[in-house]
Amino acid sequence: MPFWPDFLSTLAKGIIVTLEILAISMPLSVILGIALGTARVYGNTIIRGIASAIVITFRGFPVLVTLLILFFGLSDFGIYIPPFWTAVVGFTLCSGSYQSEYVRGAIRSIDIGQSLAAKSLGMTKMQEVFYVILPQAIRRAFLGITNELIYLVQYSSLAFVVGVPEMFAVTKTFNSLYFRPVETFSTLAAVYLVMISVLVVFFRGIERRLRLPGIEITTK
Amino acid sequence: MSNGNVILKVENLKKSYNNKVVLDGVTLQVEKGITKVILGPSGVGKSTLLKCINLLTTPDSGKIWLEGIELTDPDVDINKMRQRIGFVFQEFNLFNHLTVLKNVMIGPVKVKKIPEEEAYKIAAKALERVHISKELWNKYPAQISGGEKQRVAIARALAMQPSIILYDEPTSALDPSLVGEVLQVIKELSDAGMTSLIVTHELHFALEVANELLFMYGGKIVEQGPPEELISNPKHEIVKKYFASIYTRGR
Repeated sequence: MPFWPDFLSTLAKGIIVTLEILAISMPLSVILGIALGTARVYGNTIIRGIASAIVITFRGFPVLVTLLILFFGLSDFGIYIPPFWTAVVGFTLCSGSYQSEYVRGAIRSIDIGQSLAAKSLGMTKMQEVFYVILPQAIRRAFLGITNELIYLVQYSSLAFVVGVPEMFAVTKTFNSLYFRPVETFSTLAAVYLVMISVLVVFFRGIERRLRLPGIEITTK
Repeated sequence: MSNGNVILKVENLKKSYNNKVVLDGVTLQVEKGITKVILGPSGVGKSTLLKCINLLTTPDSGKIWLEGIELTDPDVDINKMRQRIGFVFQEFNLFNHLTVLKNVMIGPVKVKKIPEEEAYKIAAKALERVHISKELWNKYPAQISGGEKQRVAIARALAMQPSIILYDEPTSALDPSLVGEVLQVIKELSDAGMTSLIVTHELHFALEVANELLFMYGGKIVEQGPPEELISNPKHEIVKKYFASIYTRGR
C-alpha cells in the first residue's frame, strides 16, 4: 500500500478514538469542574475536604503521571481499568480539577447581595446556588473553562502512554514503520489545529448565547 | 392595638460585632396595616436591626415573632418564614441574569412552587403596582435605571405576598432625581395597607408615610411615637439635635 492512503486510513482510526475520548471527557470534566468548584464553596466540612483533596491531587500531579497511576498503579491493587477508560477518567479528573478553580473564583466574585436577596425570598441554600449563583458564576467562568477544554484536546495525546490507539499514538507507530516524520507529524499537527479551531468557533457560539447585558463573559 | 393584630414583634434583640455593641436590646412591634419608620444617625444599627429581623444576620440574643411564630426558635424553618417577610435592599440586589419579569416570578415559581401562568399573573400585578411598564419586563437589570431597579425589587418582594415588607434605606443608593418615584411607590403600598417597617434618611417622606416613628441611637430605640409628636416635642437631646441638624440642612 502506498504511503499516503495507508497513513490517512490509520490516522482516521486514531482521530475517531481521540474524538471518542474527548466527547466523553469534555462534558464530564465540565460537570466535575462545576461540582468541585461549588462543593469547595458551599459544601460542609466533609464535602469541602473531599473536593479540595481531589483538586489539590489532580492539579498537583502531571497528567502523564495520573494516567500511569490509574493504569499501572491501580492494577497492583487488582483494579483494572481498560486503557480507553483510563484516559477518560484521567482527563476528566485533571481537567475538571483545573476548571473547578475558575468556577470557585467566579462563585466568590458574585456580589453577596445576590445571596442575601435569594435568602430573603425564602430560598434554600440549594435553590440559591442553582437558581441564582451558578447561572451567573458559570458565565463568568466560561472563558477559563473553554481554555481548559482546549488544553484537554492537546493533552489527549498523552493517552498513548497507556496504549490507547488515539491519533498521536497511531501516528507515532506509523512513523516508526516508514520513518517520514515531516509528513506524519505535520499532518497530525494540522488535525489538532483544525479540531481546536472548530472548538473555538463552537465556544464562541455558546458564548453568544450565554451573553447577557451586564454580565461579563470575556475579560476585557 | 390588640395582640391578634401584631404582625412583627421584636424583643430585646442584641447583636455585637467584635465586642462592638450594635444592637443593645431592641424591642418593637408592628401591627397589621401599620407603617413604622426607623430614624437615626448613620451607624446606630438600623440596617443591622432589619437584617436581624429576617435572620440575614444572626442576632446574639433576643426573640422575634412573625404573626405569633417565633423566628428565633431553632426548630422553625427560617426559609418558610422568610417567604412571608419582604425585604428591600439599599443596593436593590436584583438577580443580574434574569429579566425584570423573571426577577419577580422566581420567588413564586421556585420558592412557592406556583405554576408559571399563575405566577405570571401575580408578577404582572406586582409590576403594575410599582408602575413598571410592560416594555421593561424583558429588560435585564443592567438595562434599567436605579429607580426602576428598586421598584422591580419592591415588586419582587410583593410577589411573595408577604405579611410585612422591610425596607433598608431604599433610596440611599439612588440618584436624587430618582428618589421620588421609589418613595411614591412605597407610600402607595403603605396607604393600601401593606404592613411596613422602613429605615430611611428621608425625613419628609418619613413624616408623610409613617404611622409611627422610632428613633434609634446607640443600639436602642430611644424614642417612639406618632410623627407630629416626635418632631414637635422630642424628649431626648439626641433626637432634638437630629431634627435640628436636618432642618438646618434645609430638608
